[in-house]
Amino acid sequence: MVGDRDTADRYFEPQVETMPRQELRARQEKQLLELVEYAYANSAFYRELWDEHGAHPRDIQSIEDFRARIPFITKDMIRAYRSRTGDPFAGLLCVPVEELTSVSSSSGTTGDPEFFAEIWQDAPPLVTAQVRDLWELGLRPGDRVLSPPGTFRNFMDAGFQALGAVVIEVDTWMGNMPEVVEALRTYRPAYLQMMYPQMVELEHLAEKTDLREAFSSLKGASCAGQPLSRKMRERIRDDWGIDVYEYTSAADTGTAWECREHDGFHLWEDTVFAECVEVDEHGWHDVPESDVGELVATDLDNRAAPLIRYRSEDLVRLSRDTCGCGRTHARMWVAGRSGDETVVQGRSVVLRDVWQAVEDQPETVAGVFQIVRDRREVDELRLRVGYDPHLTGDVDALAGRLSEAVRERTGVKPVLDMRTEEDLLKTMTSVAKFPRVVKT
Amino acid sequence: MARADTLARARTLDRPELAYLLRFPTADGMRDLELTWAELARDTEWVTARLREHGLAAGQRALLTASGFEGFWGHAVIGALRALKVPYGIAEAMGWDHRRTAVFHRELTPHAVIGLSAETLGGLAGAADIGEMFRSTPLVLARPAAVPLLRGVGVTAFVISAVGPALALECPERSGAHVNAAEWRFGERDGQLTVAAGEGRTSPLPETPLGITGRVVVGRCGCGSDNPRVLLAEAN
Repeated sequence: MVGDRDTADRYFEPQVETMPRQELRARQEKQLLELVEYAYANSAFYRELWDEHGAHPRDIQSIEDFRARIPFITKDMIRAYRSRTGDPFAGLLCVPVEELTSVSSSSGTTGDPEFFAEIWQDAPPLVTAQVRDLWELGLRPGDRVLSPPGTFRNFMDAGFQALGAVVIEVDTWMGNMPEVVEALRTYRPAYLQMMYPQMVELEHLAEKTDLREAFSSLKGASCAGQPLSRKMRERIRDDWGIDVYEYTSAADTGTAWECREHDGFHLWEDTVFAECVEVDEHGWHDVPESDVGELVATDLDNRAAPLIRYRSEDLVRLSRDTCGCGRTHARMWVAGRSGDETVVQGRSVVLRDVWQAVEDQPETVAGVFQIVRDRREVDELRLRVGYDPHLTGDVDALAGRLSEAVRERTGVKPVLDMRTEEDLLKTMTSVAKFPRVVKT
Repeated sequence: MARADTLARARTLDRPELAYLLRFPTADGMRDLELTWAELARDTEWVTARLREHGLAAGQRALLTASGFEGFWGHAVIGALRALKVPYGIAEAMGWDHRRTAVFHRELTPHAVIGLSAETLGGLAGAADIGEMFRSTPLVLARPAAVPLLRGVGVTAFVISAVGPALALECPERSGAHVNAAEWRFGERDGQLTVAAGEGRTSPLPETPLGITGRVVVGRCGCGSDNPRVLLAEAN
């Protein structure tokens, strides 16, 4: 049965993962105070910014001081500094470039990719922070893992191998799902990293392939890059028999994974100090734990180029209650991205509503769609939607049904641009991310 | 340091000797080969020596373009760059990720670009002058299909290529891509390359036709190496 496994050995670092919150907070405070000193001494960006705000490390003696005096930073501020100074690391770098091991980057869906400077020994930082999550999923020494489709933020193999897993080198990118199914049957891996386009392709294979049998060796599979829709998640779990673990970005400081409880994304708070706030023209304030706010993150384990009070634009609900798994680190639930809301002639349209309308049509059940807009407030809702040509007899008829379904959900009649799923997925510029809101 | 503690805990695990199970195409379909940590270490040492011959050294930067399933040689290249103290940026080798390659190239001004693919060049060609972009890069190690495209626009490109389970890497003499004779036996049959595992490899591999058109050149290279060289038709 999916997810039905021994839980006796579920913590990789039990003392850290189940640390009482009071201890965790004390640890964070120590880390933050060290970080502030370190960043001020070594980062041109922070020194300049904090000087402008009258924030000096000597005045930061507690978490409360940190939150009261250290200003937020945004992606635009980083880009502006880079543009003004010509420094590719935007003044964030705290060590000479020669001391770096590697430089990875963001997906660059909203502009040039942002650099992430990395210093590491056995495994790159991103996948190292996933080791606990992979252990929770059930990965153990000797298990086999299919190689992930991309290099993401550096090769991920070293993280799997740190746990003693053997990586099977198979091209798992788009267009290769028959080979992936063959590899699953041949090598019986315990874990597979999946991305959205792969799932769309697998969905097409499902009719003629026994995917439940093919996936039966998996202890779990992960999925990242964008949230799974309810329908897709049910399909993967109930029809294909996969215990699927979604994960998401921890505001570019690492990742946050679901545990076996599948109730929110765990942040590893010994690596990130997370705040959930609402920012407006008057300032900012914490949002109650039951409410949605913006995730603001501070790197606690990054000596190369730490992000400090970084506004992620991710809208989340954050809880510090102990999870059913026993872990004490905070969990978050992602509600969307600030800026993804589109206002059509004064009417608010959110992605979730469009998504449900698209998923409700059998030919577009995979949910491949984009909102096309050059600004947030527009006169018409332009939607680009991908359909499965094998299931679509009459594209015009589908467009008619879809148009009505979107109008019912959002109150706005869309202007539709129908493409095949394959055509639309080919426009991806990242292994992980299929952009839902595009300019052209 | 949280991540350092995690990796310290990981080092206490009873880990297998095996790092990768490699699948590679042959003339008769896909074939498996096991790759151990000891073999990876030797491969890394070999690549380090090859990159050192190209003058790669501390103080320089590199850009590696690769795909997720290329860790078996990516590991050796990354290990070599680390040994040489050359920080590297990383981008996908797939054509749609060409913008990342362009940004890394523009912002980091790498001394070496390693693993450049024809697909990446195809993507870049729409918005950049490939010749202008890479002529100023001291070392361009490109995949076979990308080499003629680069040389055609005046870029002194060298070949880097997975040839079956082995990595082939051209030296500064640019007269064929060297393969490690201590680990692999290369031959040719009917104009196609064959490979067999050397005695030191854990996973046996009898002479296997690879379905790759090319020739094998033996004898001492101008660089002083006695390692054989493969001349890949696709790269010429």
